[in-house]
Amino acid sequence: MGAIALAIAFLGVLLGTIVLQASGAFTNYVLTLPVTLEREIADPRGDMSEASLRRGSYNQLIQRSLQSEFPAASSRADLRELFGLYSGLNAASVMHRVIADPSLVGSTIDVTMPANHEIDLYLKGVTVEESITAGSGTIQAGAISGDITLSSDSPAFANAIARIRQQASSERDALLGRAARLEADAAGAASRDAREAGLAAARRAREEAARFDTVIDPETRITLGPRTASLLIRLNGGVVAVSALTPDGREAEGRVLLPLESAEASASWSEWVIETPAAARRITDQQAVYARALEERGMVERRFNTNLFLNADSREPELAGVMGAFIGSVLTMLVTMLLAVPIGVGTAIYLEEFAPKNRLTGFIEVNINNLAAVPSIVFGLLGLAVFINTFGMPRSAPLVGGFVLALMTLPTVIISSRAALRAVPPSIREAALGIGASRTQAVFQHVLPLAMPGILTGSIIGLAQALGETAPLLMIGMVAFVADAPSLGLSGLTQPSTVMPVQVFLWSGASERAFEMRTAAAILVLLTLMIIFNAAAIILRRRFERRW
Amino acid sequence: MQLSLITALALLVLTAVGFLAGRSRALALAEKDGSRLHSLPGYHGYYVALWAGLPGFAVLAAYALAGTMIVNTIVLDRMERAAEPLQARYELALANDDIWSEAEREIARLDDEMAALRGEAEQVIAAEGVQSDAVEALRARQDELQFAQDDARFTRDARANTIAGDIIQAVPEAGDHALARAGFEFARLPVQEREVFLADARALAFGDGLASRDTPELRATAGALQPVHSAIAWGACLGALGLALAGLAFARTHLAVRFRARNRVEWVISATLALASLIAILTTLGIVFSLLFESLRFFAAIDWRVADFLFGTQWSPQTAIRPGQIGQSGSFGAVPLFAGTALITLIAMMVAAPVGLFAAIYLSEYADSRVRAWAKPALEILAGVPTVVYGFFALLTVGPLLRDFALFLGYEDAVTQSALSAGLVMGVMIIPFVSSLSDDVINAVPQSLRDGAYAMGATKSETIRHVVFPAALPGIVGALLLAVSRAVGETMIVVMAAGQAANLTANPLESVTTITVQIVTLLTGDQEFNSPKTLSAFALGLVLFVLTLILNIIALRVVQSYREKYD
Repeated sequence: MGAIALAIAFLGVLLGTIVLQASGAFTNYVLTLPVTLEREIADPRGDMSEASLRRGSYNQLIQRSLQSEFPAASSRADLRELFGLYSGLNAASVMHRVIADPSLVGSTIDVTMPANHEIDLYLKGVTVEESITAGSGTIQAGAISGDITLSSDSPAFANAIARIRQQASSERDALLGRAARLEADAAGAASRDAREAGLAAARRAREEAARFDTVIDPETRITLGPRTASLLIRLNGGVVAVSALTPDGREAEGRVLLPLESAEASASWSEWVIETPAAARRITDQQAVYARALEERGMVERRFNTNLFLNADSREPELAGVMGAFIGSVLTMLVTMLLAVPIGVGTAIYLEEFAPKNRLTGFIEVNINNLAAVPSIVFGLLGLAVFINTFGMPRSAPLVGGFVLALMTLPTVIISSRAALRAVPPSIREAALGIGASRTQAVFQHVLPLAMPGILTGSIIGLAQALGETAPLLMIGMVAFVADAPSLGLSGLTQPSTVMPVQVFLWSGASERAFEMRTAAAILVLLTLMIIFNAAAIILRRRFERRW
Repeated sequence: MQLSLITALALLVLTAVGFLAGRSRALALAEKDGSRLHSLPGYHGYYVALWAGLPGFAVLAAYALAGTMIVNTIVLDRMERAAEPLQARYELALANDDIWSEAEREIARLDDEMAALRGEAEQVIAAEGVQSDAVEALRARQDELQFAQDDARFTRDARANTIAGDIIQAVPEAGDHALARAGFEFARLPVQEREVFLADARALAFGDGLASRDTPELRATAGALQPVHSAIAWGACLGALGLALAGLAFARTHLAVRFRARNRVEWVISATLALASLIAILTTLGIVFSLLFESLRFFAAIDWRVADFLFGTQWSPQTAIRPGQIGQSGSFGAVPLFAGTALITLIAMMVAAPVGLFAAIYLSEYADSRVRAWAKPALEILAGVPTVVYGFFALLTVGPLLRDFALFLGYEDAVTQSALSAGLVMGVMIIPFVSSLSDDVINAVPQSLRDGAYAMGATKSETIRHVVFPAALPGIVGALLLAVSRAVGETMIVVMAAGQAANLTANPLESVTTITVQIVTLLTGDQEFNSPKTLSAFALGLVLFVLTLILNIIALRVVQSYREKYD
């Protein structure tokens, strides 16, 4: 009982974590911008021909639109952060729209594109922790842009200072505790080297802890840097990033990230704390401010992630999808099915109904049983050595993948088909032979139709196995990065492509955090396919199962 | 492509026509003769259809397989003949050129020197072993010589290029001379670039794919390819159609009232089925021979030090770059891989054997039909989950969890990719495999044994422990052996979760590497197929194949003999 529960619990945890990880990938934040398709940029040659439209710099148009949203962003660094909100690859989709309908040139269109994956993760609250609290007291800004000073009659920033000090002292305590433990370990260490290494580590921890002393000391100014939480002040419709605070809590220095509407004193302001330090996240304070501002203006919103299902692979996580791998899987499975099922069923019929019982057929039987237990990667080696190196077939092609998987699936199909044929009682054969049918007629007109449901069930289970197989396909080069989905047809069979499980493998090795949830989502798609296959097998078995 | 597609369609139509013609002819014969046919009219139809379809399709298939090769051979032969005068002039010029001859002599001299060095290395290795300083020094000396030789080669090739350039300059570009130039250029290309040259020429000639370059030589080759290609294509297609028509007519004259059409057709059917069953044997042969052949090439490349491969303890295939490098067999010591595989398999079996076995005992002896109804499908789902999913789970959930736990316990060197996380997850993967095999075995224990035990007054658990389990033991051992073979050959989980470092360790918290991981690492990404590094993957594959084969044979023997006992 416990063993079963354990196995089921494993299954539950496995599926649960994957669903949990995948849940973030099904929606994403999209950025909608009004883009004016200026004639001289979209159509550089001025003749509205397709060649000319293809040379248009659409990314520049998107950049102009975004810049007009934030006129204050003018320095190179500001613009780089602003344009980091989306991927330049999106310009291609604008180009396709314009080429499809050249009359758009000169007008203003709404362009919807996925936000950069780091922005997306930030807005989803996955990578960055933040909080917003209302401020107390009245503060006065020195100017509305640039480096400014915020001042107040009351200690308005006392809360913020208290929080920063508390965080610093808890971190210092943790470091000191670690140093003490390391020293204790070092005292009892076996070798001199280990002792010295331990002591050095403890010394480093103490040095690091000492850096917090100035923050904790109530008399000195507090400076905020990339290793501390960021403190942003929202005031008069703008945002100021605080870089230093006076110890009395009455004054703060900072840089304006979003221009203030006025420099009047105001009591309605709030503290916006991004708790994850800048060094530990992939977006800057400025980008967070831009993203939130766009969200407030309704230009960034969360939608269902269609890219995940309709796009092929991409280097940019927000544009990557499983479509290419899906088509690759379909093509590969078609080849596998067309080869493995007829050959497997033919072999089963021959061995079960026609073959004389001699050493050759005995050898074939042993052979098939062994083949069923050969590791799948060995079939990949076979495919590489024979199909690719000897016959010169193309690498990474669904055709070769289908060949390899067909050889791998063959034993499964043969074994289950033989079982299905054996389950048909001999009386059926004898009755057919008795009324004058030939052996072939008896098999093909009577035994085979009765064994068909069992054969189909076995074949579908074999194909489902092949659908989830990865290792042999790695051997024949189906791990390539394929940005264009192969065409669904005969020519697609020799185009480089990849399949669903290999896509999962590729994404799981990607460094971007956003690929993690997309990997889980791709796994869910793959599992759905496999469940469909298996459900089909179970339904077939239930409907046509016959007990003799 | 277009032409052969149309021909294939025409052949299909002819086959159908053959069927109809055969059937109607048989019916007409029967009516005229007034007696009954030996075979049903349909069989006469099939007989004619087979004669019409099979030879035609055989020709078409042969063309599809070999057509391109034949066209290339003919055209290349023609190019070679056209280039003969140029080639002769080129060789004469080389022979008379001092710089070239000097470089050639230098290369030969260095070759001799390196052969002597290798001979010396043989003795040193025999005396001091592969991993010694003396070998290291010899290797450095060899690298120097190799460097000098590469230099000489560069001089020689550069000189040859200049001379070839001069010769080609003297030939006009137009007409027949272009083909000669193409042949000359092709003859001088290294092997791998010849394929590119041919692919480019084909792209220019037939528009299949994009050409990477477009030169007059390529144009000339393309121009030579076109007529040969269309002649052969038309020949093959018309030949196929002609054969089909001839077959149809020939078979039709055969038909008679007493003609045994059914027997002929059935013979073809059973021959086809027998051929299908040979594919399984061909697959095995293919595996054995391809692995063996490539492994032999690998062993030749490491000077037949098979023992170093099987028992060496240092695995660093990246350092052995050049074939024939002194002491490179020392980088291919596979023991760390075998140890890693064994460690992970052991961990996996420690999870899978008890859980799977207890699950099987529970399911077959205790569970009522309602529990079985949902527990079995759940186990089947667990078995159907692709291994790459388990790998992802091990990499992102189990690995970090175990590392944090080890850190919490005070083990500071904990890593995410560890033998333990890969082994645990692999164990979970194998549970359903063990449980379903053991379930079958336990169910096969005859009820009379249980009844006998109950009659003696044994309780249920006593019956299971003292009667059912011992009776099922051989079968369970077989099942566990199959599970071990499965674990040894499993790839994706270890590729993703066990790491790449070839550590020789028994510590499950370190990362280890396995046979399958190394095969994947060596064979993915850029590779040239002749380096010992790539070939070593096939030797590892051979070891894996033999290992699993032995396990499977023993397991199948055990299970089979057990079955016979109770049947």
